[in-house]
Amino acid sequence: MFGFGINILVVIGLTVFIGTTASRFFRRFKVPQVIAFIILGFILGDSVLGIATRELLFAFSPFNIFVLGITGFLIGGELKKEIFEKYGRQFINILFSEALLAFVLVTGFVVLVGNIFFDNSAFVWALGLLLGAISAATAPASTTDVLWEYKARGPLTTTILGIVGLDDGLGLVLFAIASSIALAIVGKEAPAIPSMLFHILYRIGISVGVGVSGGFLLSLIVRKISDKYGIITFSLGIIILVLGISDFLECDVLLAAMTIGVFTTNFIPRKSKEMFELIDELMPVPYIIFFTFFGAQLNLNNLTLPIVFIIIVYLIGRTLGKGLGANMGARTSKAPATVKKYLPWCLFSQAGVAIGLSILASERFPEQIGDSIVVVITVTTFIIQIVGPLAIRVAITKAGEAGLNITEEDIIRESKAKDIMDMNVPLIYEQMPLKQILKTFSKTDNLYYPVVDKNKRMLGVITVDQIKNSLMTTGLHSFIIAYDLMETVVAKASPDLPMTEVFEILNRYNIEYLPVVSGGDKVIGFLERRQISRKIFTKLIELQKEAENLVRN
Amino acid sequence: MDLKNYIDKDLIFLLKEKKKERVLFGMIDSICEIKNLENKKDIKNAILYRESLMSTGIGLGIAVPHVRIKGVKEPVVAVGIQREGIPDYVTIDDVPVKMVILIIAGEGQHKEYIQILSLVVTKLKQDDVREELIKAQNKKELYEILVS
Repeated sequence: MFGFGINILVVIGLTVFIGTTASRFFRRFKVPQVIAFIILGFILGDSVLGIATRELLFAFSPFNIFVLGITGFLIGGELKKEIFEKYGRQFINILFSEALLAFVLVTGFVVLVGNIFFDNSAFVWALGLLLGAISAATAPASTTDVLWEYKARGPLTTTILGIVGLDDGLGLVLFAIASSIALAIVGKEAPAIPSMLFHILYRIGISVGVGVSGGFLLSLIVRKISDKYGIITFSLGIIILVLGISDFLECDVLLAAMTIGVFTTNFIPRKSKEMFELIDELMPVPYIIFFTFFGAQLNLNNLTLPIVFIIIVYLIGRTLGKGLGANMGARTSKAPATVKKYLPWCLFSQAGVAIGLSILASERFPEQIGDSIVVVITVTTFIIQIVGPLAIRVAITKAGEAGLNITEEDIIRESKAKDIMDMNVPLIYEQMPLKQILKTFSKTDNLYYPVVDKNKRMLGVITVDQIKNSLMTTGLHSFIIAYDLMETVVAKASPDLPMTEVFEILNRYNIEYLPVVSGGDKVIGFLERRQISRKIFTKLIELQKEAENLVRN
Repeated sequence: MDLKNYIDKDLIFLLKEKKKERVLFGMIDSICEIKNLENKKDIKNAILYRESLMSTGIGLGIAVPHVRIKGVKEPVVAVGIQREGIPDYVTIDDVPVKMVILIIAGEGQHKEYIQILSLVVTKLKQDDVREELIKAQNKKELYEILVS
């Protein structure tokens, strides 16, 4: 199929369309969308339909770097100076304990079980060490996708973001050490440990250096521009450039992109907030393609009985290692209760880095070790990517952090007129004299009041502005009634009208209020632009407080 | 702002009818004819509806029926004098209505509408003005008193 431009577009179109449809279907059962994308990809891939061919997937590898880079950038954007000050020790404790315990347990279990099936103990040890090292990394993209999909906010979410952003780096270090030892065990020439460590430090240093340079340049530019178009194009341009340079220099693209995010969020905090929001808005479609193509490259063939057992112990070792390690790290750093309790469920995801390292292993160890590693990692990734996001969803929900990371736009998008309307707005009856109207005004701070007939049917609105005119004129108080003062209403809302449409109506007619009426034009509430903003702001503060309370518990 | 900008000599009537509804309808008919207003029925209904909410007999023999309604481009003020009084016009002081000042404004003319009402009330609350109006012999005299 690949080779004709139109067919690439057909595959991408199918991916985005079916992916979105499937994710909406999955959402009904509270299943994270990333699972839908991966399953769709698996079906489109070589293992089932063969539509997303290897050539197509290969052609998309720069795109994968781009998505991973943007993920790293957005994670970096969450890591403000205060987060490091507050969670720094917690991050380090958890990071080392979960990654190292996963490494030790996976290596140990694979060696134990491997010795039952294979005669060659050098092979078993090399396999164990390499799988142990690969098991340390946690997939950032699929983890953050669940956090963002469920709008999570709180100490657990912050810890997850910090850990998934950093443990790839630790995974790479462990893999470099493990592969050197493995090469020595199987009798191949291994680089000396000092030179290898130097190489790792060099890679980390270059990644951070490139990221800081990009972040500095981006901060200088974004600080001086205010249009959205400029912010998006400059940000993407610099991020892609940094990713390209990092890839060319063979250093860690994720770390480089994350550094840009960390730099900008701390250097230009106010301006970068808008930048991160704009970039985030661009990502849904790239994420669908990224995860679907990730699913497409999973190949579940070549399974043998010993490999099945290795897969089982890998899954057990990694799950126990990450879970117990995370809990241990959280306890020793005196993390909040929700982190201790639920973090162990949030670090299972395994994806790009693990697959990449398994391919690297297959190149360095071309015989049985390399092939076995690719199969084990592919199969376990498939299983983990189905279970991992579900576990995260359950954990953040139980921790009370789902739905706390909501912006003003989210509240507007998800609310209806009845959720925001003022149900206690005083009704002014049409025959109410001016004196009584003034008395009502003095008791409330509304600027607009609905005028109704005896059956509470909407007739018009009295504004404080109009009343001002009447107050300044003398002799009217005795015979002016609400009916004389009201103005005609140009638009009304039904209780189920989405708030996005409410704003559309307010803007279209350039009005400040909208009465909410139900059957027979009966007034049941009132929307005043000023009060809508106040209500949304209060809701945001409530959510913020809820998230802060989670830190104290 | 001056009342003479709104009062039209042709819209001053020496009334013969003594029934409130007939008085009001008669004045509306004349206004619509003179001012070429097409929504006569709507104006009548609106005035009646407003009166049903609260009578505009404001005391001292004065009534100020008024309404804002679609289709009226400029505020219209008409004056009717019934020297013998309109017995069924409910007032706050039970003094029979002898002067009817009918005001019709456009839907969006809220500010002018209130100002005209204020001008009318301020003018007619002066005892000497009211006495002169009752004594006036013809439309011309009535007009002069109102705009003086």
